[in-house]
Amino acid sequence: MSDRYIFRYIIILVAIVSVLLSAAAMWLQPYQKRNELNEQRINILKAAGITDVDNKNAEQLFKQHCTDKHEGDMPYYVIDGSITVIPMRGNGLWGPIWGYIGLSEDHKTVVSAVFDHKSETPGLGAEITTDNYRNQYNGKPLDQKVDAIAGATRTSKGVEEMIERTLKLYLPYFENEQ
Amino acid sequence: MSNNLKLITAPLRKANPVTVLILGICSALAVTAKLKPAIVMALSVTVVTALSNLVISLLRKGIPAKIRIIVQLIVVATLVILVDQLLKAFMYDVSKQLSVFVGLIITNCIVMGRLEAFAMAHKPWESFLDGIGNGLGYGSILVIVAFVRELFGSGTLLGYQVIPQGLYDFGYVNNGLMILPPMALIIIGIIIWLQKPEEEK
Repeated sequence: MSDRYIFRYIIILVAIVSVLLSAAAMWLQPYQKRNELNEQRINILKAAGITDVDNKNAEQLFKQHCTDKHEGDMPYYVIDGSITVIPMRGNGLWGPIWGYIGLSEDHKTVVSAVFDHKSETPGLGAEITTDNYRNQYNGKPLDQKVDAIAGATRTSKGVEEMIERTLKLYLPYFENEQ
Repeated sequence: MSNNLKLITAPLRKANPVTVLILGICSALAVTAKLKPAIVMALSVTVVTALSNLVISLLRKGIPAKIRIIVQLIVVATLVILVDQLLKAFMYDVSKQLSVFVGLIITNCIVMGRLEAFAMAHKPWESFLDGIGNGLGYGSILVIVAFVRELFGSGTLLGYQVIPQGLYDFGYVNNGLMILPPMALIIIGIIIWLQKPEEEK
C-alpha cells in the first residue's frame, strides 16, 4: 500500500468521523444544557430545604418556588419569598469544592446546604455530598460548628472556610440593602 | 451456529476478559461501589466493543497495516465519545457517577485487544458477536462485584434498602471498607480463586 493510499484513507476517515461527531454534539447539546441547568436548580431548592425534587420536576418546582433571582457579581436566589440561597466556591484537599447555602429570612440560621466536589477521596472527603453530612446544617445557627468527617479533616476545614468566607462577603451586603 | 454461540459464551467464563485475561481491572475497581453505575458501565463497554469490532471488521481489508492502530483508536474514540454524549444527555446522574471512566473506555485493554486479536482477522458478524461476548464477560464480573459491594457496603441494591432496619437495631453496621476500591480487588481475587479449579478440570 502506497503512502498516497494511507494519506487518502486517513483523511477520508477523519472527515467522516468529524461530521458524525459534530452532528451528534449539535443534536444532544440542548438536552445536556437542560440537565446542567436542572442540576443547579435541584441544588438551589435543596439548599432551601425542598428535598423532594429530581431531574423531571426541577424546572417546574424551581419556577414555582424561586421568587427572586439576582445575578452578577453577588448572585443569590430567594426561595418562597424568605429563604436566601447563596452559591459558594472553595478548596478541598485535592481540588475545588462548591455548594449552596440557604439562610433564613433574618440571615441568622442556616436552612440547609448542599456541597459537591471535583476530586475528594471516595468514602472520606467525598462524604460532604451525602445527606448525612449536609443535614447537619439544617436549622443550624450561623455561629455553631458542625462535626467534621472522620479522616477527612482537610476537606471539612475547606467546607468551613468556604462558608465563612462567603458569608463574610454577603452578610454586610444584605445589611446595607435593607 | 454452535461456533457463533461459543463466541458469546466463552468470554463469560473460560476466556473471561477480567478474571482469566486480567484485562479492564482499573474500571472494575472504580465503578463497582454501586450496582447502577456498574450496569451502565457494563452496557457501555458492551456497545463499544461490539460496534468497534463490527466497524473494524468491515474495514479490515482496506486498513493500511502501517496505521492500523491509529485507525482502531479513531473508531473506538468516536464510539466512546458518542456513548459519553448520550449518557450526558439522557442519563445525567449516572454519567456524573461514572465521570471520567466512560472516556477511559478508549484505553480499556479489552476493546483494543479484541480489535487486534479478533476483528482484524474475522468476518463482521462473528466479530460483532465476539464483542458482545467480551463486553458481557466484563460486565458480568462488574455486576457481581458491585452487587456484593453495594449490599454489604451500603445495605442497598440499586438504591433500594435491602437490609432491614431491624438488623441495624441489633447493632449491624454497614462495612465501610466495601465502598473503597481495595475491596473490589479482593472480591475479584476471590472470584478468580473460585473459578480456577473449574478451569483446570
